[in-house]
Amino acid sequence: MLTRRSNLLAAAAFATIAGIAAPALAADKTIKIGIDASLTGGDAQGAILQRNGAMMAIDEANTAHAVKGYTFDYYTLDDGTATAGQYDPAQAAINARKFVSDKEVIGIVGPQMSGAAKAMTPILSQGNLSMITPSATNPDLTDAKFAAQYSPAGKTVFFRTVATDAYQGPYMANYFAEKLNVKTVYVIDDQGAYGEGLANAFSGQAEKKGIKILGRDKIDPKAADYASILTKIKSINPDALYYGGTMQAGVKLVKQSYEILPTMIKGGGDGIQDPEMFTGAGYPAAEGWYATVAAPHVNEDTKLAGWVAKYKSAYGVAPDDYAVCAYDAASAIIAAAKKVAASGKPVNRTSIRDALMTTKIETLQGPVAFDPNGDIANKVVSVFKAHKADAPLDDLSKQYGYIGVAPQS
Amino acid sequence: MTSTDLLVQQLINGVSLGAMYSLLALGFTLVYGILELINFSHFNVFMVGSFVAYFTLQQFGLAGQTTILTGLPLIGVLLVTLVVSMVAAGGLGVLIERVALRPLRNVRGPAAMITTIGVGYILFNLVLLCFGADGKDFPNPLPPLHWAIGGATLRLREILIWIVSVLLMGGLTYLVQYTRMGRAMRATAQDPEAARMMGVEVDRVIIMAFFLGSALAGACGMVFGLYYNFTSYVIGFTAGLRAFTAAVLGGIGNVPGAMLGGVIIGLIEAFGGQLISTSWTDVIIFSILVLVLVLKPAGLLGRVAPSKS
Repeated sequence: MLTRRSNLLAAAAFATIAGIAAPALAADKTIKIGIDASLTGGDAQGAILQRNGAMMAIDEANTAHAVKGYTFDYYTLDDGTATAGQYDPAQAAINARKFVSDKEVIGIVGPQMSGAAKAMTPILSQGNLSMITPSATNPDLTDAKFAAQYSPAGKTVFFRTVATDAYQGPYMANYFAEKLNVKTVYVIDDQGAYGEGLANAFSGQAEKKGIKILGRDKIDPKAADYASILTKIKSINPDALYYGGTMQAGVKLVKQSYEILPTMIKGGGDGIQDPEMFTGAGYPAAEGWYATVAAPHVNEDTKLAGWVAKYKSAYGVAPDDYAVCAYDAASAIIAAAKKVAASGKPVNRTSIRDALMTTKIETLQGPVAFDPNGDIANKVVSVFKAHKADAPLDDLSKQYGYIGVAPQS
Repeated sequence: MTSTDLLVQQLINGVSLGAMYSLLALGFTLVYGILELINFSHFNVFMVGSFVAYFTLQQFGLAGQTTILTGLPLIGVLLVTLVVSMVAAGGLGVLIERVALRPLRNVRGPAAMITTIGVGYILFNLVLLCFGADGKDFPNPLPPLHWAIGGATLRLREILIWIVSVLLMGGLTYLVQYTRMGRAMRATAQDPEAARMMGVEVDRVIIMAFFLGSALAGACGMVFGLYYNFTSYVIGFTAGLRAFTAAVLGGIGNVPGAMLGGVIIGLIEAFGGQLISTSWTDVIIFSILVLVLVLKPAGLLGRVAPSKS
């Protein structure tokens, strides 16, 4: 039974707690960073690595109270659907509307896939909400020629912490011509926005380098049998096969091309820089495939060893280079928020967008700054070759051996 | 490769692919012949069958592409896996009939067909939820034997597909033509009312049709996995739709028609990719479906369906 005295004490205690708590509540305004990736479907494994990277940067910013007066929260959406088996442009558009309609969202890390980005940017442009992709490498998205389509409201809202396929494909063509001495090539893609763009960019530069394109075809990622096209390639007998596409078709292509074209030089872009290359296609089929990443290769760098260890202990899986880019993308948004808050202006999506245009930060991958179209200023493409390593199959950094930076011309 | 070698190689590719389409097409045809129902859940019964085979092979300690068996252990493992996938897929087919389709047996219109689409999606999403979206590295216990025919290569896995398909189709033909159950099935296909009056247990016949069709899909799922060393939750739709086209092409309801249609579609896919372009494969196949429906609706060997007198 409460006495009058204990009542009084309780009231005093309550007042004290409220007195302490109230200013803290008023000071810490919650702002959200959206995360969009293809968490359902064939690209899920890479998607999870990126999501983890973004979450890690946000968690660290909160622990360090990086931006005074603001706490970050993440708002994760999945643009993959079971029906599509990968990213679904319709779902991506729905996600874009969800982000725009939530006023607390100040910026987005994502999407993973270019096809999703193409569906999202027009909506985000209207909402003046910026998005930094860690891995969508289709060149059209930041090409001034297509500005009317992807940024209809006029301002740049789509940024990247990666280079694009306009560099990834051509630099690989340089690598094929100069380092692998390839004279003839057959080029296929998986009919997606990413794959087709990458394959076209590769073909264009390959021709300039004097490589003869002996054929150009598309494979259906939902079909199972590529024996027909691979038999055709075998009969044409080019020096190399270049594949623009992701692992949905890639798993089957890698397996079947091992059977039919065992000794041919085979390569692709970052779409096959995916754990499924080894967990799905597996050895011996994956052995010897070349792949690129449209970013500097830093996750094996000794400078990053501490970061990699922290990532592994937090999420139980090793990060890939795009997880680093996702971390960097989130860091860029946080840096922009810091800049805005320091200048005394309110942190919202408009101020963040404007701040991103001039943000220059030192990130894990090196200095990050954006050009007026939203592209990263420093464009680096790294080349890898699959070689069986004594490590878990999903440990990309071990299974893909780093070869070096692709020639830029 | 000379053009003859290329022809032989694409023939091998096309017939192997066609053998799988035939096995799948039989499931559509058996059910249609008796119920005049297009069973779209069949797509994903096939997919489940390949997952059953995947897990059965893993039970034998096989994973990835490293463990290779030969001789009796190989035949034993393959036989057990084949039987397990057939029984599991067959049981699933019977379950689908009992739970989702029998209550709708006397409902007129497309209700039952739409239900099969729904059931197909349920299977699709269940497999996605339980086993994830990534492509599975299907175990391959087959020794990498291959023989050169000129410049073309014939691999053990192609021979395996042919043997399994021929044996199963032979068995099915025997069952339909020469057994009591087969006679009951043919009688029900001709006239369910009259068959019932003659003492045929129509319910049992229907269950049998679902079991046999789905078991063949299960076998096809295993063969598919061994052939491509791959399975995934998405494999049902493309293969299923092409097999369905094969069934219509041959004459839906017609058992030899499904076998013929499957091989033709397989060959079209192989030679279409060679002569035109793989990006046109679906256009070619489905144009053929439309042409058949317009010009020869009964298919190449004639349609068999219950008479509606």
